[in-house]
Amino acid sequence: MAAAGGEGPERDSDGAGEELELTPAQLIRSLEQAWLNEKFAPELLESKPEIIECVVEQLDHMEANLKRAKGGDLKVSVHRMEIERIRYVLSSYLRCRLVKIEKFFPHVLEKEKSRAEGEPSILSPEEFAFAKEYMANTETYLKNVGLKHMPPNLQKVSLLKSVPKPNLDSFVFLRVLERQENILVEPEFDEQRDYTIDLEEGSQHLIRYKVVAPLVASGAVQLI
Amino acid sequence: MEPAEVEFLAEKELVTIVPNFSLDRIHLIGGDLGPFNPGLPVEVPVWLAISLKQRQKCRVIAPEWMDVGKLEEIRDQERKEDTFTRMPSPYYMELTKLLLNYASDNIPKADEIRTLVKDTWDTRIAKLRLSADSFVRQQEVHAKLDNLTLMEINTTGTFLTQALDHMYKLRTNLQPGETAHSQDF
Repeated sequence: MAAAGGEGPERDSDGAGEELELTPAQLIRSLEQAWLNEKFAPELLESKPEIIECVVEQLDHMEANLKRAKGGDLKVSVHRMEIERIRYVLSSYLRCRLVKIEKFFPHVLEKEKSRAEGEPSILSPEEFAFAKEYMANTETYLKNVGLKHMPPNLQKVSLLKSVPKPNLDSFVFLRVLERQENILVEPEFDEQRDYTIDLEEGSQHLIRYKVVAPLVASGAVQLI
Repeated sequence: MEPAEVEFLAEKELVTIVPNFSLDRIHLIGGDLGPFNPGLPVEVPVWLAISLKQRQKCRVIAPEWMDVGKLEEIRDQERKEDTFTRMPSPYYMELTKLLLNYASDNIPKADEIRTLVKDTWDTRIAKLRLSADSFVRQQEVHAKLDNLTLMEINTTGTFLTQALDHMYKLRTNLQPGETAHSQDF
């Protein structure tokens, strides 16, 4: 039986060599978590270049193995099915981010510009280039189609003000991964007082995104 | 989220099959599977089980909760209680549909199981509708929904969150303050 049918990569090899030392299984789980979070969060979340690079590397590695595989038709097809599944999650994740970048482009660029030195970036270099190009194209388009025909004092439009911001007050469903205590829940009206809740591990909640945004970023909760 | 995407997540759950072929261990990116020996049960993810079953390479063994007695108990408890009972699997609906669609010949009393699961689902969805209704009426800002499965949350999830967003926008614009985004010319 052809042993090269699908030799998976070694357990600890993760070629990007960053502080993240994940097994491939943990890597795929992180990708899925990032995918779900990105799907349900109203704003663009931190970009995860390490996860993406590692996943692409794993997929390429596996594809290369499969090309070299001689027999073992069943093994090859099982590996291919898994590759397709992972590829779907990866594409969906990247597409979700692009949709948000296109929707909120001035705010995303503004946030990136005003980011402090040590803070993680929300855009990968390619996404940043895409966002800048998108903004330049939109500005040129608006100018050529409408603005240059307006009276001179009305020829400027502030995209930052006219494009709607992401609504951080929207509600999200979440599952708690790490126990959290004393999360402040702010009600809408002044008559209702603030109250705090504890988030038990494994419980599920419906709550405003703004309240749990830092927990999503740190991985303490998972949006569902 | 599309129901198909929830099903995609459900397909990762493990189920026991009895293969009729032999294959040594497979090292998938997500973990190892096998080895496969004819007649010996082995656990695989549902996506693989369905594919093997379609190629007539295995027999699927129903999960231990997929049994008429157990499901009747669950259905009765669900009808009795006001709160949501803990389901035997976070993906009970998807697993039932997938296994009964593709492997109903391997599952005893498939039709009864289908009916029981559907009854339980209907009861739970009705409770979910009631509780979403009271959430909106009382303008709560937080709700705990343990024991609800992803598929159930997903049926009303998008609609509910969008409706809550709209209502929030309408309500906060009743009291214009410095946060009001009205345009000045």
